Amino acid sequence: MTIDRQKTKEEVVDALHGVASEMHDKMLKGNPPTMTLPVRSKSNIGFDKNLGVYKYGKKKTIRDATSLGSARQLLRALHITEFVEGMISDGKTSTLREMYYISEGWGHGKFSSQNESNGVSEDLEIVTKCLREDFGLRPEEDGARIIGNVTFEERNRKGDWMRINCRDDVGDSGYGVPYNVESEKLRMIDEDIDFVMAIETGGMFDRLVENGFDEEARCALVHLKGQPARSTRRIMRRMSDQWNKPIMVFADCDPWSFRIYASIAYGAIKTAHISEYLATKEATYLGITADDILAYDLPSDDLTKQDLNALNAELSDPRFATGWWQEQIQLMQEIGKKAEQQSLAKYGLDFVTDTYLPEKLGALGFTY
Amino acid sequence: MDPAERLSSKQKQISISEFFEKNKHFLGFDTLQRSIITAVKESVDNSLDACEEARILPEINVEINRMKGDRLRLITQDNGPGIPREDIENVFGKFLLGSRFHAIRQTRGQQGIGITGVVMYSQLTAGSKTKVVSKIAKDSSAVFVELGIDTRRNRAIKSGETRDTWLDEKTKESISHGLRVECEMRAKYQRGRQSVHQYLRMTSIVNPHASISLVVRDRDGSIIEEGAWQRTTERLPREVSEIRPHPHGIQLGSLQRMLKESEERKMTSFLRHNFSGVSMRAAREILAAAGLDEGRSPKRISSDDAQGMVSAFRKVKLLSPPTDCLSPIEDLLIKKGLSKAIDSRFASTITRGPKVTQGNPFQIEVGLVFGGNLSADGPIEVLRFANRVPLMYQQGGCLLTKGLEAVDWKRYGLDHPGGKGIPKGPAAVLIHLASTNVQFTSEAKEAVSDNEEVFEEIRLAMLEVGRGLKGHLKKSSQRKKAREKFELINIILPEISKKSSELLSREEPDLAPIITKIMDAVFCEEELGWDAERKIATCSITIYNYTARARAYTILAKWPESEETSIVENALGGKKQANGLWAWRLDTLNPGSATTIHFGVSGLRKGEWSDAEIFYRGNGEVIGATKIDEKLLEELRKSEALEAAESEFQNPVEPISQLKERAEQSEVSQPLSLEGGQTSLFGNFSTNDAEEVE
Repeated sequence: MTIDRQKTKEEVVDALHGVASEMHDKMLKGNPPTMTLPVRSKSNIGFDKNLGVYKYGKKKTIRDATSLGSARQLLRALHITEFVEGMISDGKTSTLREMYYISEGWGHGKFSSQNESNGVSEDLEIVTKCLREDFGLRPEEDGARIIGNVTFEERNRKGDWMRINCRDDVGDSGYGVPYNVESEKLRMIDEDIDFVMAIETGGMFDRLVENGFDEEARCALVHLKGQPARSTRRIMRRMSDQWNKPIMVFADCDPWSFRIYASIAYGAIKTAHISEYLATKEATYLGITADDILAYDLPSDDLTKQDLNALNAELSDPRFATGWWQEQIQLMQEIGKKAEQQSLAKYGLDFVTDTYLPEKLGALGFTY
Repeated sequence: MDPAERLSSKQKQISISEFFEKNKHFLGFDTLQRSIITAVKESVDNSLDACEEARILPEINVEINRMKGDRLRLITQDNGPGIPREDIENVFGKFLLGSRFHAIRQTRGQQGIGITGVVMYSQLTAGSKTKVVSKIAKDSSAVFVELGIDTRRNRAIKSGETRDTWLDEKTKESISHGLRVECEMRAKYQRGRQSVHQYLRMTSIVNPHASISLVVRDRDGSIIEEGAWQRTTERLPREVSEIRPHPHGIQLGSLQRMLKESEERKMTSFLRHNFSGVSMRAAREILAAAGLDEGRSPKRISSDDAQGMVSAFRKVKLLSPPTDCLSPIEDLLIKKGLSKAIDSRFASTITRGPKVTQGNPFQIEVGLVFGGNLSADGPIEVLRFANRVPLMYQQGGCLLTKGLEAVDWKRYGLDHPGGKGIPKGPAAVLIHLASTNVQFTSEAKEAVSDNEEVFEEIRLAMLEVGRGLKGHLKKSSQRKKAREKFELINIILPEISKKSSELLSREEPDLAPIITKIMDAVFCEEELGWDAERKIATCSITIYNYTARARAYTILAKWPESEETSIVENALGGKKQANGLWAWRLDTLNPGSATTIHFGVSGLRKGEWSDAEIFYRGNGEVIGATKIDEKLLEELRKSEALEAAESEFQNPVEPISQLKERAEQSEVSQPLSLEGGQTSLFGNFSTNDAEEVE
């Protein structure tokens, strides 16, 4: 299944003008201007059976200009609209951080922190049903790195298509995923792998690269760099859709890593408006699990108060409402421990590739 | 010398040193850190008392220098009256010789050992003599003398006495009167909550008439800590009078001694002349209740009869003791003292009226400061004082603290977890107990012991400053809200309108109806200022009508009315409503218009008027002002009129009926005129629109 979600420039501008129109129409009728948004919290995400991912529900919130804070947000949305229109007509893009600095010149519409500017951009994506890529807004962080026998074509700055094999044409740091991985920028050419392995930490990614795990196990290694960027999730989704490859998530055993998995498999709460583009429901959590801590007797740390709170929140998160996750979370609460991926080094540098991963993958039916 | 004599003299010598050694915990010399605080305290208390008695505005300088080992050299100097040459030995050398011990009035002293203890401690720990320089005004030269203590005879030994002119070290001018004490002792300088710095800072708060400075130097001469607290008032504390004891506060032992020492021949005159609060009638009733003959001689009263008298004291109704023996700091000076030592935004202070417990008059004063530089996390700072003396130890066990803790501070805007203990927040609270007889929990005099009446007074005082704080917080949050709304409608909304119209290439909408919908309220904003040139405190009150109706109001402002102050530059006129309450009847305020009242108050000093309170009379709510309680106002006016009528006949007082009439006149009728200082808040809102919405 491929999704053609690309919007034309006119569609994007029209959608943004819709936001300004809502405000203007209200004012013409003598009412304070407003902006209508879905409620963005755990309580308003639900499973979309058609898409197989979590999406925002029907709860709407109306932001109106009766308080100073909300009025400022409306003004900022208008400034962003103006800014994006300008970029679209000039064929430019900017990072979210650049926009934050540009907002210095927006008088009373300027942002007081970058979180604020990111927030308003997300609001506009949700209301207009566009992606921020459509607005020409890029995130600051770069995407993931990939190593393995897969081949992409990426359009470079000169507009030429460049063919890259992620095993033969890259160094040890792998292929750097660009911020835009849609078809106008990135084409999926060829592959010779059995699955994709997504790895949370750089240390473990480098270990698997050094041990030649990608060739040995016939997989593509993807370094997530913590909570994965949108383009990272999107490229995994495309590999899953177009090449029909399963995604294995290999992360630390702690509540925050569980959330990394959930955002890959079901979508993140913050980006639930575009879950159908980003989430890969076929993703599997490989480890490290609470079971593993016990089974492999891994060196572990005590759970902190924040960890415990996060676990409790996950118990009521609809994305973790399966029996397996409930069991794992409760077991973790019971033993009160967490462990890092790299704790496997307790048994030597090769233990992870010689023993741990073959055993875990074997249990899922992957043998090599 | 006979061996027995030698032994006995040695014993005496040992005993006085031993006495010191054994009792040093309540003499204040139990630790090295504390010893220096006690030494400074004894010295500074003496200076303050001497200056007060001589009616001199005190200038006190404290200097502490670290010496080798764990020794400190302490130098204190004041501009007090000095000590006459012949009295120096007595003041510095006699143990437990306080003239104040028997007097019943409020003093700093009564604290025990005094400066003699310092001389003694210095001699015992550093083996050094105390150098004293004293200059009294009528002598032409100062006395320079070194003092030690003859522990055997409990008196001072003078040595090296000379007379010379005494020059100020900085100005090189000769000093006309004052006292300088220099001594060395084993002690340790420590900073923080229990330090000399904190002690002097606290002292300066409750002695706003004193200028105090401190400098602490290390061995190499570098400064470890310093402080300078300037006086904020030239007014010396009121001179306090001594009073006779009140029967409710007397113990059997004291009564027996008084009876024995009495020169009176009859019991009635004994009671009337030796006690306060006892009239002839009361004396007779006491004696009747005790079953004693009025004509008996006091010297012949048996101890059983004396006991009977003590119980009789409780049965008979007596007048309260006079309270002019107390010297409260008074709220304005507390405010000044606190703002001198603590940088804060808001101060609320209260001096309660004097009360009596067990025959002893006492008075509670409380000050609360909030905001500014005060740290927001952690418990508030508690500054405790008894008779203007800072209490620095045993905060938890002190009645003054308990009174503070008894209030539910959450209701007044401070964080108070569980409603127990010291509340938290950016605040400091001062508690001062003035009394002729402060009861401490122990000889160390660090914490005031429990007493129901005192506790209740503290609690009430706390409630009062708490209410002040609550009002302040409410006002600041209202003010913040109003400011935000103003920014919203004056800046943000017009920009939203402009930007959205530009983006869509459409006409700009009319904002007036939107503004009315967003605000839908009447706002009142007041601003106090100070005209330094003309020495006038200025006040401007602006009323904004952001509703869709025309409004009519009378605005009332509280102002610091007194014999010295008067309202000036008051173009709108208005009328006095009650003491310290002025009223202006405003012209009808149309929708979207504002008007401002300007006036000034002369006869004040800068900073004396920091908080105006605005009331209104009229319909609906005015954000930033309080609706006047007409019943309360009426009562206030009645009692004022009565008071005036009772006290002064030469000043004709308006009869109450007239006041009432005037009050009725000041009610707003509803003429629709657009005069006065009204300005329109949105340009395109015409008067006709206003009448339509009416």
